[in-house]
Amino acid sequence: MAERCAVIGVGQTHHKAKRDDVSIAGLVREAAKMALADADLTWTDIDAVVIGKAPDMFEGNMMPELYLAPALGAVGKPMFRVHTAGSVGGSTALVAAHLISSGIHKRVLTVAYEKQSDSDAMWALSVPQPFAAPLLAGAGGYFAPHIRAYMRRSGAPEYIGRMVAVKDRRNAMRNPYAHLHIADIDMKMVEESMMLWDPLRYLEACPSSDGAAAMVLSSEDALSGQYPPAWIHGMAMRSEPTMFAGRDQVNPRAGRDCSADVYAQAGITDPRRQIDVAEVYVPFSWYEPMWLENLGFCDLGDGWKLTESGATAFDGDIPWNTSGGVLSSNPIGASGMLRFLEVAMQVRGQAGEHQIGGARVALGQAYGGGSQFFSMWVVGSDKP
Amino acid sequence: MPESEALHASHRLEYPYARSVGPVIGAFLTGLRDGRLLGVRGSGGSVIVPPTEYDPDTGDDTGEVVEVGPGGVVESWAWVPDPLPKHPSDRPFAWALIRLDGADTALLHAVDSGGPDRLATGDRVTVRFRPAAERIGSMADIEAFVPEGGAA
Repeated sequence: MAERCAVIGVGQTHHKAKRDDVSIAGLVREAAKMALADADLTWTDIDAVVIGKAPDMFEGNMMPELYLAPALGAVGKPMFRVHTAGSVGGSTALVAAHLISSGIHKRVLTVAYEKQSDSDAMWALSVPQPFAAPLLAGAGGYFAPHIRAYMRRSGAPEYIGRMVAVKDRRNAMRNPYAHLHIADIDMKMVEESMMLWDPLRYLEACPSSDGAAAMVLSSEDALSGQYPPAWIHGMAMRSEPTMFAGRDQVNPRAGRDCSADVYAQAGITDPRRQIDVAEVYVPFSWYEPMWLENLGFCDLGDGWKLTESGATAFDGDIPWNTSGGVLSSNPIGASGMLRFLEVAMQVRGQAGEHQIGGARVALGQAYGGGSQFFSMWVVGSDKP
Repeated sequence: MPESEALHASHRLEYPYARSVGPVIGAFLTGLRDGRLLGVRGSGGSVIVPPTEYDPDTGDDTGEVVEVGPGGVVESWAWVPDPLPKHPSDRPFAWALIRLDGADTALLHAVDSGGPDRLATGDRVTVRFRPAAERIGSMADIEAFVPEGGAA
Protein backbone atom coordinates (compact mmCIF):
# COMPACT_ATOMS: atom_id res chain seq x y z
CA MET A 1 0.00 0.00 0.00
CA ALA A 2 1.37 3.36 -0.98
CA GLU A 3 -0.36 5.56 1.62
CA ARG A 4 -1.38 4.34 5.06
CA CYS A 5 -5.13 4.14 5.62
CA ALA A 6 -7.11 3.88 8.84
CA VAL A 7 -10.67 3.53 10.06
CA ILE A 8 -11.50 6.63 12.10
CA GLY A 9 -15.27 6.35 12.41
CA VAL A 10 -17.81 3.54 12.57
CA GLY A 11 -21.60 3.47 12.63
CA GLN A 12 -24.34 0.92 12.35
CA THR A 13 -28.09 0.77 12.70
CA HIS A 14 -30.04 -1.37 15.08
CA HIS A 15 -30.66 -4.35 12.82
CA LYS A 16 -34.21 -5.67 12.82
CA ALA A 17 -36.59 -7.78 10.76
CA LYS A 18 -38.44 -4.66 9.72
CA ARG A 19 -37.23 -1.09 10.15
CA ASP A 20 -40.53 0.41 9.05
CA ASP A 21 -39.66 3.60 10.94
CA VAL A 22 -37.15 4.62 8.24
CA SER A 23 -36.90 4.77 4.47
CA ILE A 24 -33.83 3.33 2.72
CA ALA A 25 -32.33 6.84 2.74
CA GLY A 26 -33.10 7.16 6.45
CA LEU A 27 -31.51 3.78 7.11
CA VAL A 28 -28.20 4.57 5.41
CA ARG A 29 -28.12 8.02 7.00
CA GLU A 30 -28.54 6.52 10.46
CA ALA A 31 -25.29 4.55 10.05
CA ALA A 32 -23.46 7.29 8.14
CA LYS A 33 -24.24 10.03 10.68
CA MET A 34 -23.04 7.77 13.50
CA ALA A 35 -19.75 7.12 11.67
CA LEU A 36 -19.26 10.84 11.04
CA ALA A 37 -19.97 11.64 14.70
CA ASP A 38 -17.50 8.94 15.78
CA ALA A 39 -14.86 10.58 13.59
CA ASP A 40 -15.81 14.10 14.80
CA LEU A 41 -16.56 15.10 11.20
CA THR A 42 -19.47 16.43 9.15
CA TRP A 43 -20.63 15.76 5.58
CA THR A 44 -18.50 18.59 4.24
CA ASP A 45 -15.28 16.95 5.51
CA ILE A 46 -15.78 13.95 3.22
CA ASP A 47 -14.04 13.78 -0.19
CA ALA A 48 -15.90 10.83 -1.73
CA VAL A 49 -18.56 8.23 -0.93
CA VAL A 50 -18.43 4.52 -1.75
CA ILE A 51 -21.65 2.57 -1.33
CA GLY A 52 -22.48 -1.11 -1.64
CA LYS A 53 -25.46 -3.38 -1.45
CA ALA A 54 -26.51 -6.79 -2.71
CA PRO A 55 -28.37 -7.15 -6.05
CA ASP A 56 -30.71 -4.29 -7.02
CA MET A 57 -33.39 -6.90 -7.62
CA PHE A 58 -33.68 -7.45 -3.86
CA GLU A 59 -35.51 -4.16 -3.24
CA GLY A 60 -36.38 -3.50 -6.88
CA ASN A 61 -34.47 -0.23 -6.70
CA MET A 62 -32.25 0.09 -9.77
CA MET A 63 -28.92 1.87 -9.20
CA PRO A 64 -29.98 3.19 -5.79
CA GLU A 65 -26.65 5.00 -5.42
CA LEU A 66 -28.00 7.67 -7.78
CA TYR A 67 -30.91 8.71 -5.59
CA LEU A 68 -28.94 8.17 -2.37
CA ALA A 69 -26.19 10.63 -3.35
CA PRO A 70 -27.90 13.66 -1.77
CA ALA A 71 -28.89 11.55 1.26
CA LEU A 72 -25.18 10.89 1.86
CA GLY A 73 -23.91 14.42 1.34
CA ALA A 74 -22.34 13.32 -1.96
CA VAL A 75 -23.69 16.04 -4.25
CA GLY A 76 -20.76 17.33 -6.28
CA LYS A 77 -18.45 14.61 -4.99
CA PRO A 78 -17.24 11.34 -6.47
CA MET A 79 -19.60 8.49 -5.58
CA PHE A 80 -19.02 4.83 -6.42
CA ARG A 81 -21.20 1.76 -6.20
CA VAL A 82 -19.70 -1.68 -5.53
CA HIS A 83 -21.46 -4.96 -6.16
CA THR A 84 -20.06 -8.38 -5.22
CA ALA A 85 -23.15 -10.16 -3.87
CA GLY A 86 -22.99 -11.01 -0.13
CA SER A 87 -19.35 -10.02 0.17
CA VAL A 88 -20.17 -6.53 -1.07
CA GLY A 89 -19.93 -4.82 2.30
CA GLY A 90 -16.31 -5.95 2.55
CA SER A 91 -15.44 -5.12 -1.06
CA THR A 92 -17.06 -1.70 -0.65
CA ALA A 93 -14.80 -0.92 2.31
CA LEU A 94 -11.80 -2.07 0.28
CA VAL A 95 -12.67 0.15 -2.70
CA ALA A 96 -13.01 3.06 -0.29
CA ALA A 97 -9.64 2.19 1.28
CA HIS A 98 -8.03 2.05 -2.17
CA LEU A 99 -9.08 5.67 -2.74
CA ILE A 100 -7.01 6.57 0.35
CA SER A 101 -4.06 4.23 -0.17
CA SER A 102 -3.71 5.44 -3.77
CA GLY A 103 -3.36 8.98 -2.46
CA ILE A 104 -6.43 10.23 -4.35
CA HIS A 105 -8.51 11.21 -1.30
CA LYS A 106 -7.98 12.03 2.38
CA ARG A 107 -11.34 11.06 3.87
CA VAL A 108 -13.82 8.65 2.35
CA LEU A 109 -17.23 7.67 3.71
CA THR A 110 -18.23 4.11 2.93
CA VAL A 111 -21.73 2.76 3.47
CA ALA A 112 -23.50 -0.54 2.88
CA TYR A 113 -27.09 -1.59 3.49
CA GLU A 114 -29.96 -3.90 2.84
CA LYS A 115 -33.62 -3.39 3.55
CA GLN A 116 -34.82 -6.95 3.35
CA SER A 117 -38.33 -6.00 4.50
CA ASP A 118 -38.73 -4.00 1.28
CA SER A 119 -37.72 -7.05 -0.67
CA ASP A 120 -37.97 -10.77 -0.97
CA ALA A 121 -34.35 -11.87 -1.07
CA MET A 122 -35.04 -15.54 -0.68
CA TRP A 123 -37.12 -15.65 -3.88
CA ALA A 124 -34.84 -13.17 -5.62
CA LEU A 125 -32.12 -15.78 -5.04
CA SER A 126 -34.33 -18.58 -6.33
CA VAL A 127 -35.31 -17.31 -9.77
CA PRO A 128 -35.86 -20.26 -12.08
CA GLN A 129 -33.94 -19.86 -15.33
CA PRO A 130 -34.99 -21.47 -18.61
CA PHE A 131 -32.96 -24.60 -19.48
CA ALA A 132 -31.21 -24.57 -16.09
CA ALA A 133 -31.55 -26.70 -12.99
CA PRO A 134 -33.47 -24.92 -10.22
CA LEU A 135 -31.26 -23.59 -7.42
CA LEU A 136 -33.89 -24.50 -4.81
CA ALA A 137 -35.14 -22.12 -2.18
CA GLY A 138 -32.76 -19.41 -1.09
CA ALA A 139 -29.08 -19.44 -0.20
CA GLY A 140 -29.49 -22.27 2.32
CA GLY A 141 -30.67 -24.59 -0.44
CA TYR A 142 -27.50 -23.86 -2.34
CA PHE A 143 -25.09 -24.25 0.58
CA ALA A 144 -26.59 -27.27 2.34
CA PRO A 145 -25.08 -29.86 -0.06
CA HIS A 146 -21.65 -28.25 0.37
CA ILE A 147 -22.05 -28.53 4.13
CA ARG A 148 -22.91 -32.21 3.76
CA ALA A 149 -19.79 -32.60 1.62
CA TYR A 150 -17.72 -30.95 4.37
CA MET A 151 -19.19 -33.23 7.03
CA ARG A 152 -18.41 -36.29 4.94
CA ARG A 153 -14.84 -35.18 4.20
CA SER A 154 -13.96 -34.17 7.72
CA GLY A 155 -16.01 -36.67 9.69
CA ALA A 156 -17.43 -33.80 11.74
CA PRO A 157 -20.25 -34.82 14.09
CA GLU A 158 -23.72 -33.33 13.54
CA TYR A 159 -23.70 -31.23 16.72
CA ILE A 160 -20.86 -28.92 15.57
CA GLY A 161 -23.29 -26.75 13.59
CA ARG A 162 -25.51 -26.40 16.63
CA MET A 163 -22.51 -25.35 18.75
CA VAL A 164 -21.78 -22.47 16.37
CA ALA A 165 -25.43 -21.43 16.34
CA VAL A 166 -25.50 -21.28 20.15
CA LYS A 167 -22.10 -19.56 20.48
CA ASP A 168 -22.87 -16.75 18.01
CA ARG A 169 -26.35 -16.10 19.44
CA ARG A 170 -24.89 -15.94 22.96
CA ASN A 171 -22.30 -13.47 21.70
CA ALA A 172 -25.12 -11.39 20.20
CA MET A 173 -26.47 -10.88 23.74
CA ARG A 174 -23.41 -8.63 24.24
CA ASN A 175 -24.19 -6.57 21.13
CA PRO A 176 -27.03 -4.03 21.42
CA TYR A 177 -27.19 -3.61 17.60
CA ALA A 178 -27.70 -7.32 16.86
CA HIS A 179 -31.00 -8.38 15.32
CA LEU A 180 -31.44 -11.61 17.28
CA HIS A 181 -31.30 -11.61 21.06
CA ILE A 182 -32.31 -15.12 22.11
CA ALA A 183 -31.47 -15.12 25.79
CA ASP A 184 -32.23 -18.77 26.50
CA ILE A 185 -30.69 -20.32 23.39
CA ASP A 186 -29.09 -23.73 23.90
CA MET A 187 -28.23 -26.88 21.96
CA LYS A 188 -31.65 -28.36 22.62
CA MET A 189 -33.50 -25.32 21.26
CA VAL A 190 -31.43 -25.43 18.06
CA GLU A 191 -31.91 -29.17 17.70
CA GLU A 192 -35.67 -28.85 18.12
CA SER A 193 -36.00 -26.03 15.58
CA MET A 194 -37.44 -26.84 12.17
CA MET A 195 -35.25 -28.53 9.55
CA LEU A 196 -34.96 -26.10 6.63
CA TRP A 197 -32.26 -27.47 4.35
CA ASP A 198 -30.76 -30.71 5.63
CA PRO A 199 -28.56 -30.54 7.72
CA LEU A 200 -29.40 -26.90 8.48
CA ARG A 201 -32.10 -26.21 11.00
CA TYR A 202 -33.95 -22.91 11.40
CA LEU A 203 -31.71 -21.71 14.24
CA GLU A 204 -28.57 -22.60 12.27
CA ALA A 205 -29.49 -20.02 9.61
CA CYS A 206 -29.11 -16.24 9.58
CA PRO A 207 -32.15 -13.99 9.96
CA SER A 208 -33.46 -11.56 7.31
CA SER A 209 -32.57 -8.09 8.55
CA ASP A 210 -32.92 -4.44 7.70
CA GLY A 211 -29.73 -2.59 8.49
CA ALA A 212 -26.82 -0.43 7.41
CA ALA A 213 -23.16 -0.03 8.28
CA ALA A 214 -20.81 2.88 7.64
CA MET A 215 -17.17 3.76 8.17
CA VAL A 216 -15.04 6.84 7.69
CA LEU A 217 -11.61 6.00 6.31
CA SER A 218 -8.75 8.42 6.50
CA SER A 219 -5.22 8.99 5.33
CA GLU A 220 -2.47 9.34 7.91
CA ASP A 221 -2.46 13.16 7.73
CA ALA A 222 -6.23 13.52 8.22
CA LEU A 223 -6.88 11.49 11.39
CA SER A 224 -9.64 12.59 13.75
CA GLY A 225 -12.09 11.14 16.23
CA GLN A 226 -12.18 10.09 19.85
CA TYR A 227 -10.89 6.56 19.47
CA PRO A 228 -7.47 5.58 18.16
CA PRO A 229 -7.42 4.67 14.45
CA ALA A 230 -7.68 1.09 13.21
CA TRP A 231 -4.81 0.84 10.73
CA ILE A 232 -5.27 -1.32 7.67
CA HIS A 233 -2.41 -3.84 7.51
CA GLY A 234 -3.63 -5.75 4.48
CA MET A 235 -6.58 -5.97 2.12
CA ALA A 236 -7.46 -8.36 -0.67
CA MET A 237 -10.30 -9.54 -2.90
CA ARG A 238 -10.59 -12.68 -5.00
CA SER A 239 -13.35 -14.29 -7.02
CA GLU A 240 -14.01 -17.40 -9.05
CA PRO A 241 -16.93 -18.68 -11.17
CA THR A 242 -19.88 -20.33 -9.42
CA MET A 243 -19.42 -23.56 -11.31
CA PHE A 244 -16.53 -25.11 -13.16
CA ALA A 245 -15.18 -28.61 -13.48
CA GLY A 246 -13.04 -29.54 -10.51
CA ARG A 247 -14.15 -26.60 -8.39
CA ASP A 248 -13.80 -27.18 -4.66
CA GLN A 249 -17.08 -25.78 -3.35
CA VAL A 250 -16.22 -26.64 0.26
CA ASN A 251 -12.80 -25.00 0.32
CA PRO A 252 -12.79 -22.52 -2.58
CA ARG A 253 -9.46 -21.54 -4.04
CA ALA A 254 -10.49 -17.87 -4.22
CA GLY A 255 -10.80 -17.82 -0.43
CA ARG A 256 -7.42 -19.50 0.09
CA ASP A 257 -5.72 -17.16 -2.35
CA CYS A 258 -7.39 -14.12 -0.79
CA SER A 259 -6.23 -15.02 2.73
CA ALA A 260 -2.71 -15.83 1.51
CA ASP A 261 -2.54 -12.36 -0.05
CA VAL A 262 -3.90 -10.49 2.97
CA TYR A 263 -1.66 -12.43 5.38
CA ALA A 264 1.42 -11.71 3.25
CA GLN A 265 0.65 -7.99 3.34
CA ALA A 266 0.06 -8.04 7.10
CA GLY A 267 3.05 -10.24 7.89
CA ILE A 268 0.91 -13.06 9.25
CA THR A 269 2.42 -16.54 8.99
CA ASP A 270 0.45 -18.21 11.79
CA PRO A 271 -3.12 -16.85 11.78
CA ARG A 272 -4.21 -18.71 14.89
CA ARG A 273 -1.43 -17.19 17.01
CA GLN A 274 -1.09 -13.79 15.39
CA ILE A 275 -4.75 -12.83 14.97
CA ASP A 276 -6.41 -11.81 18.23
CA VAL A 277 -10.03 -11.72 17.05
CA ALA A 278 -11.87 -12.35 13.78
CA GLU A 279 -15.24 -11.51 12.28
CA VAL A 280 -15.96 -14.01 9.55
CA TYR A 281 -19.05 -14.30 7.34
CA VAL A 282 -20.91 -17.28 8.81
CA PRO A 283 -24.54 -17.09 7.61
CA PHE A 284 -25.07 -20.80 8.20
CA SER A 285 -23.55 -22.44 11.26
CA TRP A 286 -21.28 -24.89 9.44
CA TYR A 287 -19.41 -22.13 7.67
CA GLU A 288 -17.40 -21.51 10.84
CA PRO A 289 -15.47 -24.80 10.70
CA MET A 290 -15.32 -24.59 6.90
CA TRP A 291 -13.81 -21.09 6.95
CA LEU A 292 -11.46 -21.96 9.82
CA GLU A 293 -9.83 -24.33 7.34
CA ASN A 294 -10.13 -22.07 4.29
CA LEU A 295 -8.54 -19.20 6.25
CA GLY A 296 -5.67 -21.37 7.47
CA PHE A 297 -6.46 -21.28 11.19
CA CYS A 298 -5.91 -25.06 11.23
CA ASP A 299 -5.16 -28.00 8.96
CA LEU A 300 -7.74 -29.32 6.54
CA GLY A 301 -10.34 -31.41 8.32
CA ASP A 302 -9.59 -29.87 11.74
CA GLY A 303 -11.91 -26.85 11.64
CA TRP A 304 -14.71 -28.58 13.52
CA LYS A 305 -12.26 -29.65 16.23
CA LEU A 306 -11.35 -26.00 16.89
CA THR A 307 -15.04 -25.13 17.18
CA GLU A 308 -15.66 -28.12 19.43
CA SER A 309 -12.72 -27.22 21.68
CA GLY A 310 -14.16 -23.76 22.33
CA ALA A 311 -11.20 -22.02 20.66
CA THR A 312 -13.55 -19.73 18.73
CA ALA A 313 -15.76 -18.92 21.73
CA PHE A 314 -15.71 -15.52 23.44
CA ASP A 315 -13.16 -16.79 25.98
CA GLY A 316 -11.28 -18.96 23.49
CA ASP A 317 -7.84 -18.20 22.08
CA ILE A 318 -9.23 -17.12 18.66
CA PRO A 319 -12.67 -15.59 19.33
CA TRP A 320 -14.74 -15.56 16.13
CA ASN A 321 -17.78 -13.32 15.70
CA THR A 322 -17.98 -11.86 19.19
CA SER A 323 -20.61 -9.46 17.78
CA GLY A 324 -22.93 -12.38 17.10
CA GLY A 325 -21.97 -12.38 13.45
CA VAL A 326 -24.16 -12.91 10.40
CA LEU A 327 -26.05 -15.63 12.29
CA SER A 328 -27.42 -12.85 14.52
CA SER A 329 -27.87 -9.99 12.00
CA ASN A 330 -28.03 -10.26 8.23
CA PRO A 331 -28.75 -7.03 6.37
CA ILE A 332 -27.11 -8.75 3.37
CA GLY A 333 -25.37 -5.82 1.69
CA ALA A 334 -24.16 -4.53 5.05
CA SER A 335 -23.21 -7.90 6.54
CA GLY A 336 -19.74 -7.94 5.01
CA MET A 337 -19.05 -4.37 6.08
CA LEU A 338 -20.18 -5.23 9.61
CA ARG A 339 -17.42 -7.87 9.73
CA PHE A 340 -14.84 -5.28 8.67
CA LEU A 341 -16.32 -2.64 10.99
CA GLU A 342 -16.49 -4.93 14.00
CA VAL A 343 -12.80 -5.82 13.81
CA ALA A 344 -11.97 -2.12 13.49
CA MET A 345 -13.99 -1.57 16.68
CA GLN A 346 -12.00 -4.35 18.38
CA VAL A 347 -8.57 -2.87 17.69
CA ARG A 348 -9.88 0.63 18.54
CA GLY A 349 -11.16 -0.73 21.88
CA GLN A 350 -14.72 0.48 21.32
CA ALA A 351 -16.61 -2.83 21.11
CA GLY A 352 -18.21 -2.49 24.54
CA GLU A 353 -19.46 -5.72 26.05
CA HIS A 354 -18.19 -7.82 23.16
CA GLN A 355 -14.71 -6.28 23.28
CA ILE A 356 -11.83 -8.76 23.46
CA GLY A 357 -9.35 -7.28 25.91
CA GLY A 358 -6.03 -6.31 24.34
CA ALA A 359 -7.09 -7.02 20.74
CA ARG A 360 -4.36 -5.57 18.52
CA VAL A 361 -4.61 -7.51 15.25
CA ALA A 362 -7.94 -8.57 13.76
CA LEU A 363 -9.23 -10.22 10.60
CA GLY A 364 -12.47 -9.28 8.83
CA GLN A 365 -13.72 -11.61 6.10
CA ALA A 366 -16.76 -11.56 3.84
CA TYR A 367 -17.90 -13.99 1.17
CA GLY A 368 -20.70 -13.89 -1.32
CA GLY A 369 -22.47 -15.53 -4.22
CA GLY A 370 -21.94 -19.28 -4.32
CA SER A 371 -18.82 -19.01 -2.10
CA GLN A 372 -17.16 -17.29 -5.03
CA PHE A 373 -16.48 -13.68 -3.98
CA PHE A 374 -14.09 -13.06 -1.10
CA SER A 375 -12.93 -9.86 0.54
CA MET A 376 -10.73 -9.54 3.60
CA TRP A 377 -8.79 -7.05 5.60
CA VAL A 378 -6.46 -7.21 8.55
CA VAL A 379 -6.55 -4.19 10.84
CA GLY A 380 -4.30 -3.39 13.76
CA SER A 381 -3.86 -0.89 16.54
CA ASP A 382 -0.23 -0.36 15.52
CA LYS A 383 0.72 1.68 12.51
CA PRO A 384 1.86 -0.71 9.74
CA MET B 1 -26.80 -28.25 -43.65
CA PRO B 2 -30.06 -27.30 -41.94
CA GLU B 3 -30.05 -23.96 -40.22
CA SER B 4 -29.92 -24.35 -36.47
CA GLU B 5 -32.88 -23.01 -34.56
CA ALA B 6 -32.43 -21.09 -31.35
CA LEU B 7 -34.21 -22.55 -28.35
CA HIS B 8 -36.94 -20.38 -26.87
CA ALA B 9 -38.62 -20.51 -23.50
CA SER B 10 -40.92 -18.11 -21.78
CA HIS B 11 -39.60 -16.65 -18.54
CA ARG B 12 -41.81 -14.62 -16.25
CA LEU B 13 -40.12 -13.04 -13.26
CA GLU B 14 -42.52 -11.63 -10.74
CA TYR B 15 -42.60 -11.10 -7.00
CA PRO B 16 -43.84 -8.29 -4.79
CA TYR B 17 -41.90 -5.44 -3.19
CA ALA B 18 -42.79 -3.19 -0.28
CA ARG B 19 -41.69 0.32 0.63
CA SER B 20 -41.07 1.87 4.02
CA VAL B 21 -41.41 5.55 3.23
CA GLY B 22 -40.07 6.88 6.52
CA PRO B 23 -41.26 9.79 8.66
CA VAL B 24 -40.91 12.64 6.14
CA ILE B 25 -42.21 11.20 2.86
CA GLY B 26 -44.72 9.33 5.01
CA ALA B 27 -46.04 12.64 6.37
CA PHE B 28 -46.26 14.02 2.82
CA LEU B 29 -48.24 11.03 1.56
CA THR B 30 -50.51 11.08 4.61
CA GLY B 31 -51.08 14.78 3.89
CA LEU B 32 -52.18 13.99 0.33
CA ARG B 33 -54.66 11.47 1.67
CA ASP B 34 -56.02 14.20 3.95
CA GLY B 35 -56.13 16.72 1.08
CA ARG B 36 -53.15 18.81 2.26
CA LEU B 37 -49.87 19.65 0.56
CA LEU B 38 -46.84 19.47 2.87
CA GLY B 39 -43.23 20.51 2.53
CA VAL B 40 -40.27 20.51 4.87
CA ARG B 41 -37.84 23.20 5.92
CA GLY B 42 -34.27 22.65 4.69
CA SER B 43 -31.16 23.46 6.67
CA GLY B 44 -30.89 26.88 4.98
CA GLY B 45 -34.52 27.76 5.74
CA SER B 46 -35.90 27.04 2.27
CA VAL B 47 -39.04 24.89 1.93
CA ILE B 48 -38.62 21.66 -0.05
CA VAL B 49 -41.65 20.09 -1.81
CA PRO B 50 -42.01 17.13 -2.11
CA PRO B 51 -40.22 16.90 1.24
CA THR B 52 -37.00 14.94 1.79
CA GLU B 53 -35.43 13.63 4.99
CA TYR B 54 -32.28 15.56 4.19
CA ASP B 55 -31.37 18.85 2.61
CA PRO B 56 -30.15 17.77 -0.84
CA ASP B 57 -27.57 20.55 -0.92
CA THR B 58 -25.95 19.98 2.47
CA GLY B 59 -26.91 16.45 3.53
CA ASP B 60 -28.17 17.85 6.85
CA ASP B 61 -31.43 16.71 8.40
CA THR B 62 -34.46 18.74 7.37
CA GLY B 63 -36.63 20.41 9.98
CA GLU B 64 -40.30 21.23 10.52
CA VAL B 65 -43.08 20.15 8.20
CA VAL B 66 -44.95 23.14 6.71
CA GLU B 67 -48.18 23.33 4.72
CA VAL B 68 -47.87 24.78 1.20
CA GLY B 69 -50.21 25.57 -1.71
CA PRO B 70 -52.93 24.88 -2.66
CA GLY B 71 -52.01 27.34 -5.43
CA GLY B 72 -48.71 27.76 -7.21
CA VAL B 73 -46.87 28.99 -10.28
CA VAL B 74 -46.01 26.96 -13.40
CA GLU B 75 -42.25 27.15 -13.86
CA SER B 76 -41.98 24.96 -16.94
CA TRP B 77 -44.22 22.57 -18.86
CA ALA B 78 -44.52 20.14 -21.78
CA TRP B 79 -47.79 19.37 -23.54
CA VAL B 80 -48.88 15.73 -23.95
CA PRO B 81 -51.27 15.68 -26.94
CA ASP B 82 -51.78 11.88 -26.95
CA PRO B 83 -51.81 10.49 -23.41
CA LEU B 84 -50.70 6.89 -22.87
CA PRO B 85 -52.73 4.44 -20.76
CA LYS B 86 -50.49 4.95 -17.73
CA HIS B 87 -50.67 8.75 -17.83
CA PRO B 88 -52.69 10.50 -15.10
CA SER B 89 -55.25 11.82 -17.59
CA ASP B 90 -57.01 10.29 -20.58
CA ARG B 91 -57.28 13.65 -22.31
CA PRO B 92 -54.44 15.92 -23.41
CA PHE B 93 -52.62 17.54 -20.47
CA ALA B 94 -49.29 19.16 -19.54
CA TRP B 95 -46.49 17.78 -17.41
CA ALA B 96 -45.44 20.79 -15.41
CA LEU B 97 -43.04 21.89 -12.71
CA ILE B 98 -45.16 23.76 -10.21
CA ARG B 99 -43.73 25.91 -7.42
CA LEU B 100 -46.42 25.84 -4.75
CA ASP B 101 -47.08 28.95 -2.65
CA GLY B 102 -44.69 28.83 0.30
CA ALA B 103 -42.29 26.42 -1.42
CA ASP B 104 -38.80 27.05 -2.81
CA THR B 105 -38.67 23.99 -5.06
CA ALA B 106 -40.97 22.79 -7.84
CA LEU B 107 -43.19 19.72 -7.84
CA LEU B 108 -43.76 17.69 -11.01
CA HIS B 109 -47.40 16.97 -11.77
CA ALA B 110 -50.09 17.17 -14.43
CA VAL B 111 -51.91 20.37 -15.42
CA ASP B 112 -55.35 20.07 -16.96
CA SER B 113 -55.65 23.38 -18.81
CA GLY B 114 -57.82 22.31 -21.74
CA GLY B 115 -55.19 23.04 -24.35
CA PRO B 116 -51.60 24.18 -24.86
CA ASP B 117 -52.88 27.62 -25.84
CA ARG B 118 -54.39 27.95 -22.37
CA LEU B 119 -51.16 27.44 -20.45
CA ALA B 120 -48.06 29.61 -20.13
CA THR B 121 -44.99 29.61 -17.93
CA GLY B 122 -45.75 31.88 -14.99
CA ASP B 123 -49.45 30.99 -14.91
CA ARG B 124 -51.07 30.38 -11.55
CA VAL B 125 -52.61 26.95 -10.96
CA THR B 126 -54.32 25.25 -8.04
CA VAL B 127 -54.58 21.66 -6.89
CA ARG B 128 -57.53 19.40 -7.74
CA PHE B 129 -57.63 16.41 -5.40
CA ARG B 130 -59.56 13.24 -6.02
CA PRO B 131 -62.62 12.80 -3.79
CA ALA B 132 -61.64 12.03 -0.18
CA ALA B 133 -63.05 8.50 -0.32
CA GLU B 134 -60.72 7.63 -3.23
CA ARG B 135 -57.50 8.99 -1.72
CA ILE B 136 -55.01 6.42 -0.46
CA GLY B 137 -51.84 8.43 0.32
CA SER B 138 -50.33 8.51 -3.18
CA MET B 139 -49.17 11.12 -5.72
CA ALA B 140 -52.22 10.08 -7.73
CA ASP B 141 -54.41 11.50 -4.94
CA ILE B 142 -53.76 14.75 -6.80
CA GLU B 143 -55.85 14.36 -9.94
CA ALA B 144 -54.20 17.34 -11.60
CA PHE B 145 -53.51 21.03 -11.17
CA VAL B 146 -55.89 23.40 -12.92
CA PRO B 147 -55.61 27.06 -13.90
CA GLU B 148 -56.58 29.30 -11.01
CA GLY B 149 -60.07 30.69 -11.57
CA GLY B 150 -61.10 27.54 -13.42
CA ALA B 151 -60.16 28.55 -17.00
CA ALA B 152 -60.24 24.93 -18.17
